[in-house]
Amino acid sequence: MTEHVLSPQGQQCLQALMRVWFEFERQLGRVPLLQRLERGQFSKADYCQLLLNWRQQVIEGSRWISRCASSFERDYSDVRSTIIGHAREEHRDYEMLERDYVAAGGNLSDIQNAPRNIGTEALHGFLMYRAGQPNPVDLIGAMWIIEGLGQKMANDWATQIDKVTGGDGGYTRFMRYHGANDDNHMQKLYQLIDRLCQHPAQLTAIVRTARVTARLYCLQLEEVEHDY
Amino acid sequence: MSVYINSTGHFLPGPPVSNDEMEPLLGLVHGKASRLKRRILQSNGIQTRHYAIDAEHNTTISNAGMAAKAAEHCLTGSFLGKRQIKMLSAATSQGDIVLPGFGSMLQAELGLSDIELHSSHGICSGSMMALKAAFTNLKAGEQPNALVVASELTSRLFKASRYEAAGSTLDFNAEFLRWMLSDGAGALLLENQPRGQCFRIDWIRSFSHADAYPVCMSVGYPTDSDHSKSWQDYATYAQAEAAGALLIRQDVRLLENIVKLGVDGYLRLIAEGRIQPDNIDHVLCHYSSHYFRGKIFDMLQRAGVGIAEHKWYSNLYSRGNTGCASIFIMLDEFRRTQHYQTGDTIICMVPESGRFNNAYMQLTVVEA
Repeated sequence: MTEHVLSPQGQQCLQALMRVWFEFERQLGRVPLLQRLERGQFSKADYCQLLLNWRQQVIEGSRWISRCASSFERDYSDVRSTIIGHAREEHRDYEMLERDYVAAGGNLSDIQNAPRNIGTEALHGFLMYRAGQPNPVDLIGAMWIIEGLGQKMANDWATQIDKVTGGDGGYTRFMRYHGANDDNHMQKLYQLIDRLCQHPAQLTAIVRTARVTARLYCLQLEEVEHDY
Repeated sequence: MSVYINSTGHFLPGPPVSNDEMEPLLGLVHGKASRLKRRILQSNGIQTRHYAIDAEHNTTISNAGMAAKAAEHCLTGSFLGKRQIKMLSAATSQGDIVLPGFGSMLQAELGLSDIELHSSHGICSGSMMALKAAFTNLKAGEQPNALVVASELTSRLFKASRYEAAGSTLDFNAEFLRWMLSDGAGALLLENQPRGQCFRIDWIRSFSHADAYPVCMSVGYPTDSDHSKSWQDYATYAQAEAAGALLIRQDVRLLENIVKLGVDGYLRLIAEGRIQPDNIDHVLCHYSSHYFRGKIFDMLQRAGVGIAEHKWYSNLYSRGNTGCASIFIMLDEFRRTQHYQTGDTIICMVPESGRFNNAYMQLTVVEA
């Protein structure tokens, strides 16, 4: 792995994004569903409910990334390539999630027909709106949060879910899959930070979008337990 | 008004105890050797430590007794006698008795008269909270000096008989700290005027995150519980002990958060302009530095705010992890044995895993 040294502006951005991430982890620590998971008071039905809610965001996730790629103009064709690659890698992830849902005892038609919860509505709406802006540099902040979540799912949640629901890893494949190629993903993110964060206004925009994404992700998770 | 650390002291009971001597001293639980000991010791890297209990499990010196010895050691190197001390601020995670506060017991042991008293209660960060109380008291002009003392006697919790009383099986979380914590005390003398070469306290800050994380290190909950019942909710203390509610536990799964939160506080202080990474000359951290390697450490380097390995000082490996006393014992040994110059900046960090309270302090070496 080659050392990728960030520019001073990129370094400032990385410091700020690390803090946004730690704050996000504390927000997650206050979500009742995740507190129950921590305490081991979490059933397979809870897990299915989590997947059912999560899937609606995952299936939309590839749409904003693709739109984000297409919004980068000619001066950013290198960035566009990277993001298109990323969108292509992940745009069928929801199928893996659906298989986990069925393996955990859910009905395929239930998860496929479920509506978006209001947190998902807000998150999806925000990301699609930002992705439609010309050269949406700030979305690196959203990618930061989502990459971090992938690693958190793989390293913390999947293990704990299997432990407290008596699973053998057979229905936590979607979560575990996001732990693979961590280093590679981080390298790409560092490169994007360096490439896209070149002056203070961009830094502010990136950090703001990271914070909004984090807050709306939390809202989506808070809404998992709400009936409507 | 500035506040200075003009003297330091420590007390470590008995001779250093090597890794091989630990288990014979603490005792074999149900007559069997621990299967986890080697792994835990390898991971914490501690080579020697001290205990205030002997192999027959007699207590050789009380917690307040150790604290008094450290305080006297500190005063020996100072310009003040006991009669001139105006404030005592004391910390421990567990005094010799449940009540009154540890500070009262220590005051009596030391023979300090007419002082203002403060006791702080917590785990590893208790000493920093006690120090902050004294620091702000001096800064406000309320007192001209304060003795700050932190002491721990956790080995009493690690006697084999304690684990045997709690049932037949020993889980990893209950055994983890047996191979981690040990006894000792440290003391600092604060004054509102510098004397010779001393440390000016620039600031002390802490960030607590108990609202966002579960309990990570505790005494008081029974084994495998949902935390609805504490040791005081049993009909008798014997029942609480049998349920494992008097064992000290670490939820090892949550430990990684301490590193993240440690880094988070560090980045906050940089953003506030309190810490300037390029100006740091020495780092004293109450946490083995090798826990800070890995992904987050790598990220700090990339973010341009990493701290070079050679600036880190620790005596955890030879003096043991003495809970809240560690940072004072470390600062005392640093002051006596390490090379530093007037103008140097020292950062002290105490991440507490109890329920995640991280304390930070910046010192500047000054000369009167």
